[in-house]
Amino acid sequence: MAYAGSLREKPVITGVGCTKFGSVLSTPEIKGMSFQELACEAAFEAMDDAGIDPKDIDAFYIGSMVSHISHLYSYHTQMADWLGLHLKPGLHFATACSTTNTGVGLAAMGVASGKFRNVLVVGAEILSSEATDDPTVRKPLDPTTLWYWTDFGVDQAYGYHHSYDIATAYGGLPTLGYAKKYRVPMDKMDDAMCAVHRAARIHSARNKKAYIQTTLEQEAKAAGFKNITDFWRSRRNPFLAWPTRVKSALNTVDGASAYIISSKGEAKKFCRKDPISVEGFHWSSSNYPWYGKDPTDWDIDRTAFQTAMKMAGITPKDIGYLNVHDCMQIYQLILSEQAGYFRKGEAWKAFLEGRTLYNGDRPMNTSGGRHGKGHAFAASAGAEIYEAVKQMRGEAKGRQIPDEPEVSVVHNHGYGMHTAVTVLKR
Amino acid sequence: MERMIDKFYKSLAKGKIYGVRCRKCGYFSFPPKAGCAACGAHKMEWKAISGEGKLLFFSSGNLPPMKFAKYHPYAYGVIELKEGPCFFTQIEGLDVSSVEAIERQNASLPMKVKAKVKKMAGMNIVVFRKA
Repeated sequence: MAYAGSLREKPVITGVGCTKFGSVLSTPEIKGMSFQELACEAAFEAMDDAGIDPKDIDAFYIGSMVSHISHLYSYHTQMADWLGLHLKPGLHFATACSTTNTGVGLAAMGVASGKFRNVLVVGAEILSSEATDDPTVRKPLDPTTLWYWTDFGVDQAYGYHHSYDIATAYGGLPTLGYAKKYRVPMDKMDDAMCAVHRAARIHSARNKKAYIQTTLEQEAKAAGFKNITDFWRSRRNPFLAWPTRVKSALNTVDGASAYIISSKGEAKKFCRKDPISVEGFHWSSSNYPWYGKDPTDWDIDRTAFQTAMKMAGITPKDIGYLNVHDCMQIYQLILSEQAGYFRKGEAWKAFLEGRTLYNGDRPMNTSGGRHGKGHAFAASAGAEIYEAVKQMRGEAKGRQIPDEPEVSVVHNHGYGMHTAVTVLKR
Repeated sequence: MERMIDKFYKSLAKGKIYGVRCRKCGYFSFPPKAGCAACGAHKMEWKAISGEGKLLFFSSGNLPPMKFAKYHPYAYGVIELKEGPCFFTQIEGLDVSSVEAIERQNASLPMKVKAKVKKMAGMNIVVFRKA
């Protein structure tokens, strides 16, 4: 196991914010918004949620991944005055899609060291469209160009140039490997993946900030299908890379998320709500490919889960709410088992039994995940920190876990591959 | 610092496929990298691979990168090299015309495969075919 380390004092999350996820070209709540405005909306919500005076924020870290799109590589300088944090220490950081999970640990270290009292972390990403030479005009971004830029995150020395196939590597082979390892017949595996998707849609339909507001049942009925299984297996949901279907993959969206990390002493001065303690975190990095002959056995995640839980002094039995990265929904099976939330080979049955729903005995990914809530690369992990905090405070209206979790574990992948795991405690 | 990436691709043009072996712990890496993934040492020796391996899993995705779009659909999978490492690349000679064909062929894996150098998208790369 990696060195777990410790903090002299465990900082707390005092405020969280998150925009609606969708498209700045078409989603009413965020239509026409710029990167600056998205970031500010999330940050100001987090400041108001914490009840903090901006003058008491000592530093700000801005996470964003695909700088080509927003023409903004110097995010921190351009955002300082927008955020009301002129002359404060600001920086840009990124670990791709895990960025704003990594930000919790980074900010916690800044606070625990004594250098900063309160740190604002903001993640923002616009993927629907790219900036132009006119700041009032954005140009729709075609998916091929988006993925060309995104794939800069994948082994550019060798892996990418050897016929890189993201759908097979990220979705098809892990799904096939899971079915083979646990002897799940392929039609049952397809049913299990349908159940994972159904859970994501139940959650996103109950989350006003999510991109997709309909359940799978509603979509199937509107398309003229009598049941979700027929719809799931229809031409409306083709294979992206067998045995992974299109609906098991992410939806790219635009959005922003934010949170404030404070020392416990500071929190007592202004925080009106229960502060959420940052108990542990860990990160692990690997070049592509991050797995070998067993497509379900991921050292990178084992390292991050075990080390973060050791730092927090918890075991898997303590986890009351688990979020795992689900740019491909098969990861909800593999990673929930890797976290110890389910026993090996049992997660697929748990999804079929509805155990991971917000009102089930093993709630997971209640925001709707990267398909339902949508995936705004560097902002998504922060949206999942937001969700965990809301669940722990009892504020997840419409999808609240009946017994507010004492301990939440939030896991994210950053493209290419980086794993960030954060352990939070009420 | 040795120009490792350049040497790897230039060697492919001569029909040689190289990995590197760690001089400290003996761990074999493919393709060549400057540091050892097992022990962290950075003294590596070049060693040609046998080209022998086993195809463990494959499929064919509908999101090929721009530079490989003209080759779509193609089989892409994980090969366990005789020397130990796993490598992901294109596999020639497999039927990817339907999901039924992909499923049927996966059911009979692992399959012995052999490396070859192939020019794709303007570069020499390593692909595999049935041995």
